[in-house]
Amino acid sequence: MVAFPYHLLKVCGGIVFAAQGSDIHSFNSRLEHVSTWKYPQQHAAESTGPAEEAQDSPAPEGPPAKRRKVEDGKDDAASNGQAKGKKAAQYDNPANERPFLQGLYATTDGRYLVAITGCDKTIWVFEHDGAGHLKELSRRAMPKRPCALTLTRDNRTILSADKFGDVYALPLIPTTTPDTSSPAPTTPAIPLSRSETPIILRPEANELTVHTKRNLRALENQKISLERKAAREAEQQEQNRPKFEHTLLLGHVSMLTAICVGVAPSSSNPSTMREYIITSDRDEHIRVSRGVPQTHVIEGFCLGHEDFVSRLCIAPGGKEELLIAGGGDDDLLVWDWRSGRLLARAPVLEHVKRVKGMEEVNKVAVTRVFATPKWWITGNGTVRTVVFVVVERVPALLLYELWHDNTLSHRCNIPLPGNPLDLDLLVDEDLVQGSTSCRLLVALDPTQKGSSATTESEDPGCTTSLMVMANTGDEWKPAPVENLPTSSSADIGEAELHKLLYTTEGLRKLTDFE
Amino acid sequence: MGGDKIKKDRRQKREDYRRAIRQDGVSELPRKKFYRQRAHANPFSDHQLIYPPHPDQMDWSSLFPDYVVHEEPQQPQQQPNPSAAAPSSPGTDLAPFQPKRLSKDVEIADIGCGFGGLLVALAPTLPDTLMLGLEIRVSVTQFVEDRIQALRTQARRAAETPSDSSPPPAPGMYRNVGVLRANAMKFLPNFFRKGQLSKIFICFPDPHFKARKHKQRIVSATLNSEYAYVLRPGGIVYTITDVPDLHEWMVRHFEAHPSFERVSEEEQESDPSVAIMRTETEEGKKVERNKGQKHVALFRRLEDPEW
Repeated sequence: MVAFPYHLLKVCGGIVFAAQGSDIHSFNSRLEHVSTWKYPQQHAAESTGPAEEAQDSPAPEGPPAKRRKVEDGKDDAASNGQAKGKKAAQYDNPANERPFLQGLYATTDGRYLVAITGCDKTIWVFEHDGAGHLKELSRRAMPKRPCALTLTRDNRTILSADKFGDVYALPLIPTTTPDTSSPAPTTPAIPLSRSETPIILRPEANELTVHTKRNLRALENQKISLERKAAREAEQQEQNRPKFEHTLLLGHVSMLTAICVGVAPSSSNPSTMREYIITSDRDEHIRVSRGVPQTHVIEGFCLGHEDFVSRLCIAPGGKEELLIAGGGDDDLLVWDWRSGRLLARAPVLEHVKRVKGMEEVNKVAVTRVFATPKWWITGNGTVRTVVFVVVERVPALLLYELWHDNTLSHRCNIPLPGNPLDLDLLVDEDLVQGSTSCRLLVALDPTQKGSSATTESEDPGCTTSLMVMANTGDEWKPAPVENLPTSSSADIGEAELHKLLYTTEGLRKLTDFE
Repeated sequence: MGGDKIKKDRRQKREDYRRAIRQDGVSELPRKKFYRQRAHANPFSDHQLIYPPHPDQMDWSSLFPDYVVHEEPQQPQQQPNPSAAAPSSPGTDLAPFQPKRLSKDVEIADIGCGFGGLLVALAPTLPDTLMLGLEIRVSVTQFVEDRIQALRTQARRAAETPSDSSPPPAPGMYRNVGVLRANAMKFLPNFFRKGQLSKIFICFPDPHFKARKHKQRIVSATLNSEYAYVLRPGGIVYTITDVPDLHEWMVRHFEAHPSFERVSEEEQESDPSVAIMRTETEEGKKVERNKGQKHVALFRRLEDPEW
């Protein structure tokens, strides 16, 4: 049994949000604990509204309840009467049972936080008071499991990319309360809505489309049973459809892995900027579609990846036509996403092999590509675009630099005492002006070091799951932090934890090895 | 035991037959019974598919050998230079493979071409247009490959040995038609550039009657955006089916898509390709035999609005 490490980080002004298992903790810039939001454990059993369960509980006082019931009636109904139970049993994914935060996002002003939990396909929106306290505003269960999301530039719409390949738009703040029983206003503006399955009162085949005796007999039987079924299905469909505003924007026939929004000058009026939705999938595609309301128009593709794409990163201001994409390929690819042109490649595998203990690695799965914002200044006072890359199960950060000629070159590896899971920049409020040292906050999985993990979980004080790196000149050194928060331990096996934390390599197609 | 033996014999026969027919110079048309395959394939699974990472890297030369442009050896800047190893020098790095070029691009795609009846009938009527069948089933793709090969050989021989009764056919007949095994629902943009196609045929697609399989249908709100991407403005999507509900489904989804409009009935009936689609597809013939209905709908790709 091991403790959950912090696995997602989001810095909003002077406040750090860190997800740990199914909880979101907040800290001030000195990493002193402020508050914790806990995933409501038994929301299915209780009929209380979500707002009542949302509370800013103080510091974690005890271990969270062990019982994590998430399978509620709604999930069963979502299977549309098919043998989903069988399938779920077949693919015994721990994420199916255990609530686990899969994504943590924030509006640019830091006033709202958005999170994804996979087990219940839910998108959570929280209001942030600026001091680290979260108030749950909405909880929306999507038709399919969201894989990644982003916000439009105006921060008013969530774009959610799901496992089924579809992208939905949801208002950040729902216009109607999520629990109204009135029929959902599904998408009046966009004609792309996936047609609701019509309630069939006659079989889709007829005497002219089936020919064998057996099929004709089957057709007769079908006709009889259909009427009964129709009523049942109508009822089910009504239940299945989410009761909140959500608009289908576009879709791939493949699992989506990442989504981001880019801007470019309008073709008709170059002085106005237009948004584009950039989506990547497991089948090596990066697709560029127009933004709302013309998401049905595909502008282009960035084609050239030879394995799954798992991470997209638009270069910071001034270079917004650049897209850095990584995944199962040996290299990162730098794209001009507006033209679909490949500009540069930067090797990843080559540099991973130089990390201690990684000499034998022959494939990589990129999980984070993090470019420093344009205001960010390195230790020696020069403005540079530094790109940090995290590779799954590799205990180091790979540091790249993006040059003016759009090439990306590897600068160094920063070895870490555990596998990095996420990172963000820590800006000290009082240092924003004329700041010469920005600190880097890294979430680590300390359990990968040997098998002595048990001792760590028993000693909550010695967790190394959060680290701060300070930039001195050209070097990055871990800076000691006194008040590293204690982690509330949960009973989870190491294997199960790894299944939750390391999901990216699983995107690789098995056929690749044959 | 007995069943196993029969199965084995059948497989052996199939293999022998296919090997024989693939030998050079064989002009006999392949027989379907050696290429049958279950009518359904799961478009979501990772088949062992071969597709180019980018349309520019697609090697069309083996499909359309008569259209290959014989170019001078590559210009010097394509040669590997000493600094190629440095990651900061794009160029050689970024263009890993330059396939042979064709004098023209594929313009017509038959998505789910089956046994290739439409392509074979269409090819002589549009002799200067390259057309490609896409089919997800391996055996069926092989049948179409062998069929095209045999037809090409026949046409060449007929042209070489003039007969008195009929004028000799053009020696290049059927050289404009090719077939590929592919999952068109996933990889259409890997084969075709934006606006490359002028016609897409979707003939007698798998109806996927069950409601929970509707997402596997070849026509859907989101997939239509990909057809719009590979079609040039003014290009046409041709659909035909014998299943009324599927017809309604396809009409509903294309009409709802802002990039398409339905083609009027008069225009539809005056399009020679429609007649061929009705009578020459293998499914079309089957429906004819069974006296079934055929529902046709055409959709035109509109210009994209300003953005």
